[in-house]
Amino acid sequence: MDMKVMIDKLFAEGKKQGIEDMEVYYGGGNSLTLKVFEKELDGYSLSESEGLSFRGVYNGKMGYSYTEKVDETSIELLVKGAIENAQVIDSEDEELIFEGSKEYQEVNNFNALLADVKETDKIKFVKELEAECFKIDDRITSVETCVYGDGYGETIMSNTKGLYLQEKSNIAYTYVVVVAKESDDIKTGFAYRTGNDFNKFNPKELAEEAVKEALSQLGASSIKSGDYTIVLRNNASADMLDSFTGIFSAENVQKDLSLLKGKLNENIGSDKFTLIDDPFMAGGLSSKSFDGEGVACKYKKVIDKGVLKTYLHNLKTAKKDGVETTGNASKSSYKSPIDISPSNFYIEKGDKSFEEIISSIDKGVLITELQGLHSGLNTISGDFSLAALGFEIENGKIKRPVEQITVAGNYFEMIKNIEEVGTDLKFGLPGDAYIGSPSLKIKKLSISGE
Amino acid sequence: MLNKQLIEDTLTAALSTGGDFAEIYVEDRTNTGIVMIGGKVESTMSGRDYGIGIRIFKGFNSIYAYTNKSDRDTLIATAKKAAAAIEGNNGNLSINLIKADVKNINMIEIDPDTVEKTKKVQLMRQAYNTAFNYDELITQVTVNYTDYNQNIMVANSEGLWKEDKRVRSRMGISAIASKNGEMQSGFFGPGASKGYEFFENLDIDYYAKEASRIAVTMVNAKYSPSGRMPVIIDNGFGGVIFHEACGHGLEATSVAKGLSVYSDKIGQKVASNLVTAIDDGTIPNEWGSINIDDEGTASQRNVLIENGILKGYMIDKLNARRMKMDITGSSRRQSYRYAPTSRMTNTFIDNGKSTPEEIIANTEKGLYAKYMGGGSVNPSTGEFNFAVMEGYIIENGKIKEPVRGGTLIGKGMDVLNKIDMVGNNLLQGQGMCGSVSGSVPTNVGQPMIRVSEITVGGREGEV
Repeated sequence: MDMKVMIDKLFAEGKKQGIEDMEVYYGGGNSLTLKVFEKELDGYSLSESEGLSFRGVYNGKMGYSYTEKVDETSIELLVKGAIENAQVIDSEDEELIFEGSKEYQEVNNFNALLADVKETDKIKFVKELEAECFKIDDRITSVETCVYGDGYGETIMSNTKGLYLQEKSNIAYTYVVVVAKESDDIKTGFAYRTGNDFNKFNPKELAEEAVKEALSQLGASSIKSGDYTIVLRNNASADMLDSFTGIFSAENVQKDLSLLKGKLNENIGSDKFTLIDDPFMAGGLSSKSFDGEGVACKYKKVIDKGVLKTYLHNLKTAKKDGVETTGNASKSSYKSPIDISPSNFYIEKGDKSFEEIISSIDKGVLITELQGLHSGLNTISGDFSLAALGFEIENGKIKRPVEQITVAGNYFEMIKNIEEVGTDLKFGLPGDAYIGSPSLKIKKLSISGE
Repeated sequence: MLNKQLIEDTLTAALSTGGDFAEIYVEDRTNTGIVMIGGKVESTMSGRDYGIGIRIFKGFNSIYAYTNKSDRDTLIATAKKAAAAIEGNNGNLSINLIKADVKNINMIEIDPDTVEKTKKVQLMRQAYNTAFNYDELITQVTVNYTDYNQNIMVANSEGLWKEDKRVRSRMGISAIASKNGEMQSGFFGPGASKGYEFFENLDIDYYAKEASRIAVTMVNAKYSPSGRMPVIIDNGFGGVIFHEACGHGLEATSVAKGLSVYSDKIGQKVASNLVTAIDDGTIPNEWGSINIDDEGTASQRNVLIENGILKGYMIDKLNARRMKMDITGSSRRQSYRYAPTSRMTNTFIDNGKSTPEEIIANTEKGLYAKYMGGGSVNPSTGEFNFAVMEGYIIENGKIKEPVRGGTLIGKGMDVLNKIDMVGNNLLQGQGMCGSVSGSVPTNVGQPMIRVSEITVGGREGEV
């Protein structure tokens, strides 16, 4: 059925049942994933899927519902579900249906050329990627995971206040995990690429990166417990920032769930620390022209030279604080209510190269990977204690690989103790947001080992 | 959920290019989620997931496709598109489905979809009030309510055809304590394969108080010590140590390709003699229990380790081919969006002989982990980590002051061999386990155990 017809019928039924303002959020798309193991295409998956989310104001409260059966048979359930859900809401914070911004900055997340890449070329690529990994070094005993995938997605937002917005995007990604073995010592290495230009994916380059990562860790052992100067490599810092994005949400601040409450315009970090949310960043995988409520997105510095300039807002939290929304309403899928999240969110790069940072340290530890980020850190207190891999630094040089250690500290303290920010800004795998960081030199963190 | 002819025709289309096995999975699921913050319902979501997954094998290779549409044209087209990934000819298989009954181990008394949301909100309010009023240091309480009703159908080219219904209910209570500009949290999240009767019989006040007690204890605690030391891990969710240190490594996903540190070790000693570990999907109404797995195989009780000797793995159909071993009723997936693979259900270390009092009294110095948070593992290297949510120092056989922010790390077999005392108070805890086939409900469990030496990551020096 035509989506517009479906939406009109849904709104008509909602109106009949007494819902005032209403909105539809539709997400649909397709995907392909290819996996290779020992020269064979051992996994091949494809999908075509869609879902529709409905929300409406009933007796002054916002009710939500969704369905993956996007046809007329679902209309009654959607309306009934939204009304039932609105009836139990007792929060006094008002959620609004938005009539639309004056202007939207265009972003281009769709590359028509990606849709034209032949499947045989994709298969060839992922097989080559595996082969390259084995070619580089005899100590690579297996390629645990070797994946290429791509997907297309479109979203439509339409409401009874006249808003109608549409966006489409596509993305390709590839990642590889290699296993290196030397006598009883086993290490893994990981590398990935994302973007929507297939031609930029180079199997050799990717294989070299993953293999180097695994080999460099062979022979690792623990290190003596104590406080060390720490270099948090770009990927590790980005992973940690990813886990702590919630502290910048105005929703969490208003609900006493963020320690940044009452800290606006205060110094909360080192003067080398600037944190940017840029929905229009070139090549950004979370680039967008409008947010989950249909509000035009905007560029903002969340932290400027250590000073907290703004929280991330949606319409509800902005109204409560008496400020303008920052355009950070998020809807991670049609199954979720409106939340808040950043877009392309990154620590601004500094002026020291990675090598310069290392050479400035007499005795320290370089952290290259953090594990258990979903459990080993507490976003409420900021405390973290995480299993880590890395290298010992001595006299300005990387001395030896280190494993079986934890690195512990507190994120709110740590951002005050940033001494240097590297030039090597790197972004992680995209999730609800696309998060990046350069390598950071931290005055000290606790290492637990031997 | 689909008629017999359409299922057979779809399977036939899936095998049209020479696949040797085809399977169709239909999921129709209703979800309810309610979030209460500060005693007020902030958001509610309800909706319907609906989709169909088609899987084809040829030898060790597998193809998977899914769609939300269930009309004949879409299903046949999807099956053919998936089949196009295989190059070959029609194997001329004739498919004759025979509908088989499923033995129900998870009896449901009250379908949560028939219960008004206001009643669910009342329960949440009770949890909120109890947790919030526990102590004046408690500054915020968040309560999450979820229930779902998942109807599935599995049919395959071997003639299997089964339908099942899975109902699960869970409440998560998270309390925050604040003091001197610091905040700490405590969490409890009981859940079961039960309907609304689960909440009616649940001691909500107990769990709400525990969440707040943990938060208050931790905000008053100093930082955890660091270094290698004996650690006592209490029963229930403490079983996450086995889940991470060993469980994932026994899933065929990593064993079949020789990637796990436990590959080719059946019959060998991989743990201390005191360790017997079991994955049991048949415990009535437990959070991780399933009548049938997502390939339609009845769940079973699988002994993984017996007195320290490796006895078995968790094996799905595809990996069974590589391993030349039998399937174990362990194939699971989050939804129709994932191809199923071997996963855990209710996994636990079985009871030993020591009493908890003996274990503590026999420990001169170390850490007592009363409640654990989550963890993770790299199955290829065996390196795991998991967080201590509530910890205490042990001195001279006695539990002393509380400590916070500790993480335990190690390598799989090493830690299993260092388990030197096993208690007699087995208890299960509920969690969500994320892996290749998505996030699935699993129990972890154990009696109290002691590990003679493990690396504790904290911010203070040695004990």
